Order: sequence, then C-alpha cells, then structure tokens
Amino acid sequence: MKRALLRNIDNTNSADINEYIKISGYASLLKALEMKPSDVIDEVKTSGLRGRGGAGFPTATKWAFASMDPKFPKYLICNADEGEPGTFKDRPILEKNPHQLIEGMIISAYALSAEYGYIYLRGEYPNACNILNNAIKQAYGKGYLGDNISGKGVRFHLHVHQGAGAYICGEETALIDSLEGKRGQPRIKPPFPVNEGFLSRPTIVNNVETFANIPYIMEIGGEQYAKIGSPQCPGPKLFSVSGHVKTPGVYELPMGTTLREIIYTHCGGIKDDKKLKAVIPGGISTPILPADKIDCPMDFVSMPRYGSMLGSGAVMVFDESTDLVKVCLRAIKFFEHESCGKCTPCREGVGWMRAILKRICDYNGRETDIEHLLEVSENISGNTFCPLGDGAATVVQNFIKHFRGEFESKIKI
Amino acid sequence: MITVTINGKKITLEKQVTVLEAARSAGIKIPTLCHHETLEAFGGCRLCLVEIEKIPKLQTSCTIYITDGMVVHSETERVVNARKAMLEFLLINHPLDCPYCDKAGECDLQDLAAKYGPTTGRFAEGKRTHPESYDDPVIVRNMERCISCTRCVRMCDKVQGASAISMVNRTSKTFVEPFSGKRYDCEYCGNCLSVCPVGAIMSRMYKHKYRPWYIDKNINTICSYCGVGCSVTAQVKGDSLVRVVPEMGKGLNKGLLCVRGRFGYDYVNSSARLKTPLIRRNGELQQVTWSEAFKYAADRLRDIKERYGSEAIAGIAGGRCANEDIYIFQKFIRGVLGSNNIDSIANFSYAPAQRFFERIFGQGVTANSIQGISNSDGIFVVGGDPTSINPILGLQIRAAYQQGIPVITVGDTPGLKRFATCMLKPNPFTETALLVSLLSELKVKKQFLGGNSSFERLINNISALSMKEVEDICGLPTDNIASAVNMLSNMTNPSIVIGKDILQRTDGHINLLLLSAIMYLINGRVYLLSEFPNEQGLVDMGCLPDMLPGGRPIEIESFKKRYEEIVGLNISSTHGLSLSGIIENAYTGKIKAIQIIGENVLSNIPDSNYVGKAFSNLELLIVQDSLMTETAGLAHVVLPSLSWLERKGSYTNLERRMQFMGKAVEGDGLEDWRIISEISKMLSFDMGYKGLEDILSEIARVSPLHKDITYNDISGDECIWPYKGEPLRHGVSLEGMDVPDIGSLLKKPAKDRVYAVFDKELFHPDSLSRKSAAISSISPEPCSRVNRALADRLSVSEGDYLNISTDAGSIEMAVKIDEDIPENVVMIPNNFEGKGIFNIMQWKLNPVLKCPVLDGNEVKLKKAEARS
Ligand SMILES: Cc1cc2nc3c(=O)[nH]c(=O)nc-3n(C[C@H](O)[C@H](O)[C@H](O)COP(=O)(O)O)c2cc1C
Ligand code: SF4
Ligand code: SF4
Ligand code: SF4
Ligand code: FES
Repeated sequence: MKRALLRNIDNTNSADINEYIKISGYASLLKALEMKPSDVIDEVKTSGLRGRGGAGFPTATKWAFASMDPKFPKYLICNADEGEPGTFKDRPILEKNPHQLIEGMIISAYALSAEYGYIYLRGEYPNACNILNNAIKQAYGKGYLGDNISGKGVRFHLHVHQGAGAYICGEETALIDSLEGKRGQPRIKPPFPVNEGFLSRPTIVNNVETFANIPYIMEIGGEQYAKIGSPQCPGPKLFSVSGHVKTPGVYELPMGTTLREIIYTHCGGIKDDKKLKAVIPGGISTPILPADKIDCPMDFVSMPRYGSMLGSGAVMVFDESTDLVKVCLRAIKFFEHESCGKCTPCREGVGWMRAILKRICDYNGRETDIEHLLEVSENISGNTFCPLGDGAATVVQNFIKHFRGEFESKIKI
Repeated sequence: MITVTINGKKITLEKQVTVLEAARSAGIKIPTLCHHETLEAFGGCRLCLVEIEKIPKLQTSCTIYITDGMVVHSETERVVNARKAMLEFLLINHPLDCPYCDKAGECDLQDLAAKYGPTTGRFAEGKRTHPESYDDPVIVRNMERCISCTRCVRMCDKVQGASAISMVNRTSKTFVEPFSGKRYDCEYCGNCLSVCPVGAIMSRMYKHKYRPWYIDKNINTICSYCGVGCSVTAQVKGDSLVRVVPEMGKGLNKGLLCVRGRFGYDYVNSSARLKTPLIRRNGELQQVTWSEAFKYAADRLRDIKERYGSEAIAGIAGGRCANEDIYIFQKFIRGVLGSNNIDSIANFSYAPAQRFFERIFGQGVTANSIQGISNSDGIFVVGGDPTSINPILGLQIRAAYQQGIPVITVGDTPGLKRFATCMLKPNPFTETALLVSLLSELKVKKQFLGGNSSFERLINNISALSMKEVEDICGLPTDNIASAVNMLSNMTNPSIVIGKDILQRTDGHINLLLLSAIMYLINGRVYLLSEFPNEQGLVDMGCLPDMLPGGRPIEIESFKKRYEEIVGLNISSTHGLSLSGIIENAYTGKIKAIQIIGENVLSNIPDSNYVGKAFSNLELLIVQDSLMTETAGLAHVVLPSLSWLERKGSYTNLERRMQFMGKAVEGDGLEDWRIISEISKMLSFDMGYKGLEDILSEIARVSPLHKDITYNDISGDECIWPYKGEPLRHGVSLEGMDVPDIGSLLKKPAKDRVYAVFDKELFHPDSLSRKSAAISSISPEPCSRVNRALADRLSVSEGDYLNISTDAGSIEMAVKIDEDIPENVVMIPNNFEGKGIFNIMQWKLNPVLKCPVLDGNEVKLKKAEARS
C-alpha cells in the first residue's frame, strides 16, 4: 500500500514545508477552502473516519456536535499527548510529517469555524516541539496560518503547548483543564467539550493521527477513502510495534490488518525465533491476548469480539520467556503513578493492587491473593471517574484470566 | 414536569435536578462525601453511586441529572457493595486515629464507615504517613486524614475566591497544600475547614478541647465584628464557651465567615477584660464596688449638671452596643441628663451619607439585601475594599464577577484585584475629579428618568469635566475611564458599594452628591459599607444629636411630643453637638462630662492626640466597656459591661436587618442598659425595666419604624426593612445642596510628596481584633504598605521598619511592598495602640459632614533604625 500518513518519511528533510509542498502538500487545504465548511464535514462523514486517539469515535459526528453549538469562539485542539505505554505512532507524524498534521488542523478549523488551535504536546517530546514550532512558523510564512489564510479571509492561529508529563492529560477534559492552566484532572461529562470545552467554549479534540488523515481524505475523497481497510472503520492506520519482534517500529497498514500479519509479515516474526506467548494489541490499557488469539483483524469493531480493543494500535509482543506477572506489576505501577487522584477507587485501589502484585512477584504472595486481587479490581471496575482506573483493573483481570497459572506458580513456591 | 422513580417511589419535579437532589427531596438518603450544597459538583468520592435502569455502569447521583421516566435504585446489593468498597478504599490509607481526632463524632467518614462500611480491614501494607502540620497559628492540617474530596479547594477557589490552596501530587499521595507551602498566608476565612468532611483541616483554637458530645447548648448569635451581621453558633459546655462556629446554609452568610468571625471570638476571654468597676482616685484607677461606682457616677453627673447645665454633658455611643443599650443611652442623656449632645462614630459618614441618599431617594434607600448584589447586572465599588471591611459582602462581589457581571473598582481594593472588570486607580485624593468626569459622560449617555425633576436640575447644573481634562489630574488614561463609563451606562440595576474613605474627605460632601447623581442616572442600589455590627442601630435608635429613634427629626414638635409621652421625660428640641462638636467643646472646656458606652474614641478618631487632650480637660469621663481600652485608661469612672456572647440583645446590620444575639455564657459586668438604669435610679428616675422585652416594647412604641416589633420577629432570619413599621415619608428636599465648584478640582496633585492613606485591612480593620489572641497570632503587628519605587527610594525592603512622621507626631511600623499602590502614598492601618495613622493626623473636619477628614496628610518617611 502506498503510505498516506507517513508518505515522505524517508526524506530526511520531510519536515520542511517545501518538501511537503513538493508532494502536493497543502493542496488539500486549497481544495477544502473552495468548499463550504459543511461540505468538508460531509466529506469526512462519507470517509467513515474514526478517531485514532483510542476510543474510535466517529470524527464527523463529533464535528457535527461542535458545529451545531451556537457559541463562539470555538477551539480546535490536537491531542499529541501520546502517553499510553507502548504508543509511539504519533511521533513520526509530529517529527517527520508535521505539515500534514498542520494542514489537517487548518482544514478542520475551516470546517468547524474555529479560529484558534492548540497542539497539546507530550512534555517528553522536546524535539517534536521544536519541529512543530518551526513548521508552524513556515506555515504562517506561506500564508496557510494567520488572519487571512491563502487570501480567503479565513482565520486560524495555531500554538504548541507542552504538557508536563501526566498521562491523564491525554484524556481530553483533563487536557483542557491543563491547557487552561489548572491541575489536569478529568471533568464531569456532560457537558462535553464539543459544547463546553476550553474556556467553556465549544472545543474539538482530535488525535494527531486523526488530523493527519484529513488532508488525505480531501485528496482522494471520502468515498475512495472508505474503501481502504475494514469497511466499518476504514482508512490507513499506524501501528507502533514493540517488544519481542525482529523489527519493531511504526507501520502504516490498512485498518483491519490482523495481528498475525503485523507480527509475522511486517515485523519479521518473534525475535530469536522464540515462541509467542502473548500480545497487548492496543496500548497498555487494552486486554492482553494469548498467542492463539492473534488472527484478529485490528480495527475498532472487530477487536472487542476477540476480547480486546484496538486502542491506540500499540502492539506489545511478549515471547515465551516473559514473566507476565512482572509485566502486570510494571503496568500497574504505571497506572498507580499516573492515577490523577480524583476518584477514590483508582487513587486508592490501584496502589492496593500494586501492593498485592508486588508481594506475589517477591514470592511473598498468599493463597488468597489472586482472589483478593480480582476482588479489588472488580471494585475498581466500572466505578471510576474516567477510563484510566478502569484500564488498570482490566489489565489485572485479563492477565489473571489468561495466565492465572503464572500467578499461582509464584505463590505456591 | 419530570417524573423519576427512586427505590420504587415516584417523584415528580419541576426542574431538572441531580438524582441526588431528587432523592433527598423525597427523603431518600444517599451517602456522599465530596458533594456539598454550596459547591459545584465534583464526582470524585464515588460514594453516591446508584443503579439506573438502562445504564450499564453505576452512576454518581451527585453528577447525573434526572430525565423523565428514569428508574433509580440506591439500595440494591450491587450499590451497597460498591459503596462498601469505596469506603474500604478510603480507609486503607486513613490513619484511623479517631480517638485522637477532634472531628470524631461529627466526621462524615466515621459516620459512613460505621453505617455502611466494612468492619475489618484487609489492607496489609503500610499506610501513607504525613506529619501533622502546625506551621500555621490557627489552622492545623493532618493530611493523613485527607480523603481528597477537594471540598476545601473548591471552597477556597470558587466561593472565597482566595485560591490559596490546591491538591498536590497524584495517586494516594494526593493531599492539600497552601501555595505558600507552609503557613497558609491566605485570607484565613476558615471556610475550607467548615467543609472538610474529616479531620484533615481544622481550627487550632479548640484543638483537643472539643468533642460534639461535650456540647450542652448551641446558642445562635450574630458576629460582633462588622456591619454584615453573620449568623454564628456559640457552643457551650457547662458555663464555658467551647467554640463559635457557623452553621452551613444558615443566616445571610449561609454559613460562610471571614477571619474575624471565625477566629476572632476569643477576645471575649482576653486578659484586657474589665472585671470590676474602677474609679480614679489620686490619679489612679482603683477597684470599687458597683454601688460605689453608681453613686459616684450619679453624684458627679448631678453636680456637673447643676454647676454647668445640661449642655456641658455629652454621650458617645459605640457601634458594637446592642440596640437596647443605645436606646436606653440616648433616653438617659436626653431625658435624664437633659442634653441632646449625643452622637457616635456613625455620624462621621455612615449616617450623613444615608441621610443624604434618603433626602433624594426616600427613607430606606440604603436598606438593600447583601445577597442581592450578585443579582445585579453591574457593580461599582468606591471608597474602600469591601473584602476587608465587610468580607462576606465582598464575597458577593467576587461571586458576581465569576458569573460574568462587570465589576468596576475605584482606588485601592486589593481583595478585588482578580475580580474587577475595570480598575480605576486615580492619583491619591483625586476621586472627586474622576467622579465628575464619570458623571459628565453618563449625563450624555443616559436619559434622565424624569422622576425627580429638582434633582435632575441640580445634576444638570454640575459643570462638566471631560475625560481628557481629568486624565492628568487623576493619572488615568482616557480609555480606562471610557471603559468604565461604557460599562456603567450599560447597567440597568447595578449595585453601588460605598466605603467611608470617599466621604471622610475635604470634598466628602461633594463626592456624596456626585455619587447620588451617578446612582440616579444608572438606577443604582446603594450599599454603605460599615465597620460596626450596629452602626445602623445607632442611627435607628436615635443616637444622633438631632434625631429621635426611628429617624424622627427632633425639631418636629409632634415627634418630640410623642417621644416625651412614651418615655415619660421632657427633652429639649434644640440640636445637640455632633461627635466632632463634643470633642471640640471638650477641648475648649465647654463640655465638662462625657459618658461613653462601648467606644474606644481615643483610638478610633483622628487625631488621637487632639482627642486625648480634649478628654484630659474633662471633669468627668465615664466609660462603659467590656475591655480596657486607651479611652477607658483616661476615664474617671470605668464600668465593666458584659461582652458579646454574655448578653442578649439585637443588632441592625447595614441592610437594616434586625437580628437577635443570644447569650451563651456568664461574664463579669452588667449590660450597658442596666448600668445606665442604675445610675438613672440614683438620679431619681427609675426606668423600671425588668428585662429586654420591656425595652423593645418601648422602642416599638417610640419608633414608628419599629412598630409592634417583638423578639419573635427578630429571632427569625428575615426581620428586614421596613419591619412591620412604617418608613418616614417625607418630601424630597434639596435645600442647602450646593452645586460644587468644579474649578477647585482642577489642581494636579504634587508628585514629589508622599501622603498617608488610611488602610482598613482584613485582619485588624480597627482596634477590637487585636484583643483576639487568634487574630493577633495571624497578624501580630501593624504593617504599612508602599510600592517598590518608593521603597527603593527609601532603601527599605519588606520587613524593615519605617519611620513615618507628620507635624502631629511620628510612628514606626513594619513595611510591606505592594506593587498595586501609587508611588506617592503610604498605606497605614489604625489598629494597634499608639501606632496608627490616627496618631499622626491633624484634627481637621469636613465643613458639611462635620467628620474628620483623612486626605492631604503629607508624611515624611525614613528607614527606622534597626530594631530588636
Ligand atoms: C487516560 C486517558 C488517556 C488518553 N490519552 C490519549 C492520548 O495520549 N492521545 C490521544 O489522542 N487520546 C488520548 N485519550 C483519548 C482522548 O480522551 C480523546 O478521546 C481523543 O483525544 C479524541 O481524539 P480522536 O477522536 O481523534 O480519537 C486518552 C483517554 C484517556 C481516558
Ligand atoms: S480513574 Fe479517577 S483517579 Fe484515576 S485517573 Fe481517572 S479520575 Fe483520576
Ligand atoms: S482559610 Fe479561606 S482563604 Fe485560607 S485556604 Fe481556607 S478557604 Fe482559602
Ligand atoms: S482537606 Fe478535607 S476538604 Fe480538603 S480534600 Fe482533604 S478531606 Fe477534602
Ligand atoms: S458525592 Fe457523588 S461522587 Fe462524591
């Protein structure tokens, strides 16, 4: 497949606006500016694009909500917090193809009548910050940003805001609070950001990859786009593959490519030709799958049928030598560290799970610990304020569900 | 109409409320922790989870709104288990030090754990630890107990508007910390500790002295600090006071308090309390019995009256005395001693301002509800910082601002710095020119209402000053003034909040006229800030040289006659001396005897030296007070009166709301009215009151304004103007109101001089709060404020001491740097003995209002020598 999102990735100068323009960059913007804003939204609707941030929410639906809200100004935010462990798929866009993101944001802003945009950038991506700021400067220089974009009287200003290293600030409402200068914690929904987001105004938050798809949709048209990959959630998808594979990295493949194909065809199979033990298919929050479940098509609709989720498309591969109890402990430590502290079950419960897992890992586990762990996780599940805490419970539940023996053997010794 | 079913019970409601509110309205209890009525929803504790049919996950009832046909269950096994689980989670890091914790017995967590929680703990790992913080003098923090409900933070951010504290850290290491790190260094309202459901933030004042089950009696009373009149509850064990607390939702303050109301009540137990009567003998105050003191006072009064006549006697009443006391006081001075020389500090601007407004707009025009401020569509603040003078009123302004209502401030209002849409900071003492220009612009923009043609004519005769003309005088850019004018002209029912500083000026009377004109043009509602809890009472009870109770002019024969008939005494119809007149006449020796109740005149009136000299000329100074004050120190007779909390009575606040003060504990001394009646008896007039009821019923007969009023009426929340009585209807008279000479305002202030400006600060606006050990621990000494440039010029830095002198005297005071004040002023409070701005001011009166003026005091500043 021809790459759409990382098209000029091999060009060492790909972040330069002139290189981007050479491969018909910003042509989609000019095309869009000739259309009515509502037609742009319709085109995205036809494309069937779903948000790439993890939840797979239909992008055009979100846009329609925001554009229906009569309040102005409206704000456009790019979620570039990329904090989910295992996920590094937005990074090549940010660092190698920033103009496609910027172009996507300008088109979206035009469609939504938003005049101000922010890129909320993961604090640990200082390089990307420089690259983006430079790219934005270039875009201003070429008249693609500013008060009169390409002489069409369209106004859009774009700023980069660096996060301070909190995973929760990837959650869109916590992101907005953080952007407002507050402590980043999720807000009560409703009201949703599309109605009351940044500074209480209608706000559209989309993932980096989501925005990067917009110029491509404009280029080939929604109908054509809808034919790529899985029919129910079409389009190209970036997979960041890590762990025990021969060639880890970011792969752009059609939505619905199976896990098996990703691991064995694109990533060259398991490192040192060991046996595969398990895969976390979509970032640490998505349920782990045992080796026999890897024929699942990787898309938002199919994955739940296989007992997991597409999430951010961050594939983590574990070979037969992996101590999964340790992996589980490591994952829970992450969640504990990142629990924002807002709600009781996540704030207190995740640390408790970590404590139990720790003693199991240290061979101090008690016979009742697995049940105990499950009980605590169940008390968290479904009762937290936001999906972060739920994610932690899911991890524990699924590790035990598929690999209970590993836990038991650590306790029995 | 929305109908929901909760636990099988059908509930129909008009408004879309939360499931929690719907349940509570039907008496269904759902436990909560992070929810609080006065705060916005948070949804963090997850205790209020309920099951809602058709929604797979449990939902927090405090955040989800009802929809028609919704079916809710709050007691299913699933809900009960989840609730138990949340409590178990909350307890794993909780220290469970309940026997040691002062919150025990009224802790939400303890109560809920007992009711719903697990009985045994399964958490085997170490709990988080966090040493109790005693960094602060009045607040103790125990963050091991914190359950991260954020109620305190939401209170401080959204209601108090101080934004002094925040949650810090994440995960179970989350806790609350002031931004300053250690001490709170905040407004110390303590509203955060009111809403803490556990013992994580508490008052140090009753640490380890309080348990709810110790309390025998809860006494409702009114805070004795300022003119707002917040409701508080005094809690008593046996015959000692345990603590004074607000009750959430109660009173016009709805359970909120400021630092004075919250922590300042301990002045009642101050070592400065007077315990026995004192008489000056051989130059020294000596203890005597009550009967000796009564006899002495009566004999001396009789003697002076006989020798010099009634006109040589005067009375000064204080704004913290109860209505009953001051009513009896004016009756005694007028009827028994035969002198109309009775007045109070209220007549230094509160009363004349009120009278002025009432002349134009009718009686009762200043009687407006404080809660109404946030319902107005604009706020104009001038003459003082409401957040320090009347803090709970100030909160209304902050709330209004947060709702998007425009707030315009004039002058130094540090507490509204983050809550002002437009700040006008004119050069010191140039507000008059600013007001003229605002008025001139508004005259162009607004139509006259046509209701009061003579006043409209008067307004038209006030010459105009353009914004350009005042730009230089006031040092304000035209667009700054223009934006204020635009906002003002767009308001339709604004609140105008007026502090005394704008009136106690050489041009105070002109300012008053200008403010009335602006108020007329923009249809404003006026609020007069008041430092004393019963300043309005002083006016309404007739503690004025020319007014009888109920605001009846004494020269009107029918009013005088009615008064004489009811009180059974004859009075003179000539106006007495006003407070400044009393002091001047004491200075010149015409006044020989002064009786003072509850007022520290020496400290509270500029210039203190002049007042001191005037008082030392007296043949007789009788001071009734509960505390030993500078004034009592000069007296010939000192009579200890009972303090607030030790007696019943009523106060009238700045809204003219009458409120009842209960008695919580016994004290040394007598009520002022009792002391006066005893002296009166010795002067052969037996007032014959058996108790307060007799006094109030007499007031209800004497003052048509208070017609038929009883304690029953006052004890409720809503005894508001015009009570059951009738306000005085009088024709609007503009007689004697002169159009100011605008030309005189066109002088530019001298840049090279530094002026003293009176600073009424939050902790010690006057001299009472320094008798509170708690407030003194927060703010132990007076502090002046200067801006950075002036500080640099003087080579002083924060914490250094400044020597401030005028021809009248000099004081030394610590200095604070404040970037928000002009370079040519030094802000000086008047709250500590011998160290206030009033010690270095000249005796100078406004020609019309007859009040001391606070402007134009040029000072010399230098760094004080190093202090030990
Ligand atoms: C704990 C948490 C972390 C998240 N982190 C990210 C993130 O790093 N990047 C992202 O795009 N979305 C993240 N999301 C999802 C966002 O809330 C939001 O759904 C997304 O940005 C919407 O964009 P999309 O519609 O383009 O997918 C996170 C959600 C949660 C609950
Ligand atoms: S689940 Fe609760 S504590 Fe955890 S991150 Fe979300 S809101 Fe914060
Ligand atoms: S005492 Fe008042 S100002 Fe200080 S932290 Fe508490 S709520 Fe905020
Ligand atoms: S200190 Fe009290 S009110 Fe504040 S978050 Fe902790 S428990 Fe809640
Ligand atoms: S009371 Fe509803 S979540 Fe805390």
